[in-house]
Amino acid sequence: MNKILIADDEPHVLRVLKLSLEKEGYAVETCANGKEALTQLEQQHPDILITDIQMPQMTGEELCRHIKQHMPERKFLIFVLTSRTEIEHREWSRDINNLLFLEKPVSIRNLLEKIEGYFSGASDSWRAS
Amino acid sequence: MHLNQRFGLTMIIATLLVMVATVYLLFDFQRNNREDMARAQGLELARLLSGMSWSELVPQAGRKGLLAVLKQGQSNPDFAYGAVVDIDGKVATEVTRSDVIVPVGDIINEPTGWLGQRVLSANDAASQVKFIETHAPVFDQGVHMGFVRLGYFRPGFSFSYYEMPFLASVMLPIFLLVPFFYFMLRREIKPLKDISERFENIAEQGGLTQIEMPPSQALNDFMEQVSDYIDATQTRIEVLNQEHEDLTMSSKLLTYKNNRVDAILQNFPDAIMVIDEAGEVSYANAKVERLLGIDAEAMLGKKTREWCKDPQIIPLLTFGDVKSNLQANQDTVQVRLDDNSEKSLQFSVYPLFTPNNESKILGRLVVICDVSESHEMRQRQNEFISHISHELKTPLSVLSMYSESLLTEGSDDEAYRIEAVNVIHDEVERLSTLINNLLAINQYELGGVIAQRNHVRLHEFLEDAFENITKARGIKDLEFDLDIPREMSMVYIDKDLFRIAVNNLLTNAIKYSKPGGKVSMSASENEDSIEIVVSDEGYGIAETDIKQIFNKFFRSTDKNIRNQTGHGLGLSLARQIVLMHHGDLTCSSELGKGSRFVIQLEKVSTQIMDAAAS
Repeated sequence: MNKILIADDEPHVLRVLKLSLEKEGYAVETCANGKEALTQLEQQHPDILITDIQMPQMTGEELCRHIKQHMPERKFLIFVLTSRTEIEHREWSRDINNLLFLEKPVSIRNLLEKIEGYFSGASDSWRAS
Repeated sequence: MHLNQRFGLTMIIATLLVMVATVYLLFDFQRNNREDMARAQGLELARLLSGMSWSELVPQAGRKGLLAVLKQGQSNPDFAYGAVVDIDGKVATEVTRSDVIVPVGDIINEPTGWLGQRVLSANDAASQVKFIETHAPVFDQGVHMGFVRLGYFRPGFSFSYYEMPFLASVMLPIFLLVPFFYFMLRREIKPLKDISERFENIAEQGGLTQIEMPPSQALNDFMEQVSDYIDATQTRIEVLNQEHEDLTMSSKLLTYKNNRVDAILQNFPDAIMVIDEAGEVSYANAKVERLLGIDAEAMLGKKTREWCKDPQIIPLLTFGDVKSNLQANQDTVQVRLDDNSEKSLQFSVYPLFTPNNESKILGRLVVICDVSESHEMRQRQNEFISHISHELKTPLSVLSMYSESLLTEGSDDEAYRIEAVNVIHDEVERLSTLINNLLAINQYELGGVIAQRNHVRLHEFLEDAFENITKARGIKDLEFDLDIPREMSMVYIDKDLFRIAVNNLLTNAIKYSKPGGKVSMSASENEDSIEIVVSDEGYGIAETDIKQIFNKFFRSTDKNIRNQTGHGLGLSLARQIVLMHHGDLTCSSELGKGSRFVIQLEKVSTQIMDAAAS
């Protein structure tokens, strides 16, 4: 079973995403900030990480940089949920592969399609981005 | 001494010298003449007498001798004596002038010396009188009997009154010629005198005047040339004076312009530098030191690398080939100064073209502007927008996802439906509150907020606000303490606005508390004022941040504060609301121990309000 880890400080987001993804057959773990996400990443080894940007203790941006620096061999895909659409707010992620931005408000259908596409073998396109 | 006086004196001295010399020469000639005559007469007479016999010369007793005849017949006034002496020198007979004694003379033994002349002194040693004596041998029948001696006074310098007319006739022409020559010469040197006076005038007054030349003077040509030269010199001097005045004026004008330009540049609000074509600083105003922390004087004549250590600035002020890159450009860099403060400096570089050739540049003008404040402001606004976007879009996401799930699989599950509807309701409330807050701030800033004041019981008002906040946020393990006396005076406030202020203080106190900490609110009053205090035992605020916490969009860089979501609006809004009520909001804090916010409301103002309202 493919594993997905979701990091967001908003409990309602965690709840609705977890329910929706579990219904599609994924094993879903949740956490409230970047620090917790790091611990979960080491323990669970998920296939996909979905993270918000603005979180207490460790932001999504700090989490991704940490992953880039300390997990050079990582295989999992990262979805970053963002409120900003401007390109300059994505500059920081330019050198991080396998990372995709999802603009808020997030559509569950859209998210599921992307996840399914990734697992069905179109994963190379993510890496290319 | 004046030239004329000197000249006159010289003439007098010369004349006297000429007269003295003339007299001397006359007397000398006369003396030599008399001496020659005495010598010639003496020799002639001595020869005559030598030819006579001893007996003829030496008279018998009672008879007058030949010598007496000689004396009587002598016309020469210099004749002194005549004597006949034997070979031993003994006088046999003599004739003398009455005042003369025949001087003693040496015996002449050698026959070669028998006829001769000699100079003898008078017997009286004190006397200066000298005699020219001519002596010749006297024979008697071939036997040498003795000598005849004839003496003449040796002429000296003596003056006799009968020579006066002669001397006068010699001296008078000389005497008359002197003033004649004097006046002639004076007339000749008059132009020189004028020149002299003119030169004196030049020396004294520095001005030149035209000389009026008398006609037909010997020096005219020369003087005219000198005069022409002086005129030309005067004209040249006038031209030079004019040029000097013009130059002085130009110099003053340049100095004035230079000072004015320098004053403008020095007082320019931004730092200004000029870097010449060699890459060296040729001008820097005083603001450079303030912005870069480097003495403006110290960088003059130096290349950028010699005075600048900042690796960000060096490439901005190093231009390499002067001809390339003639475009103006602008860059902003973050600079850390020696005092560890950070500044955002905007470097604008403009090429300086030569006025008459726009393809050639003299160097570059660099304007350095401190944009820290606007940079910080932009950053804060950017951060604020990020927060607001997050705060708005996160509930939207929740709304979107729940509604989407309700439309699909979750619609059959009753429990899930109820949960989804509740969540949607809460999120709509949250969005509404946030939007209202934003509108309130905007309205307040535009001056559109009018306080709707009412009499409010402080106890109930604060208790209600406290309950609402603390119960809604039971996330952390915190202790809450409320201490509001029941009997507190009524206050005259806009309840809704004041609630925002109190809520923001309480929300912050909870947000920045450490687990297990205490959040308390208390109120007290005295005769003049009412104090509401909100305190916590949280992370506290750094001293450097306290000054800025009431600024809009300010968020501390402290990690503990950054870990919490916030917009940098709450405290700014709270303070503005308190100020609207003629009160004050202050903060005291200790890092790591907690913060204390105090709202102070003047009671007087509320009473006045009461009166006004009634």
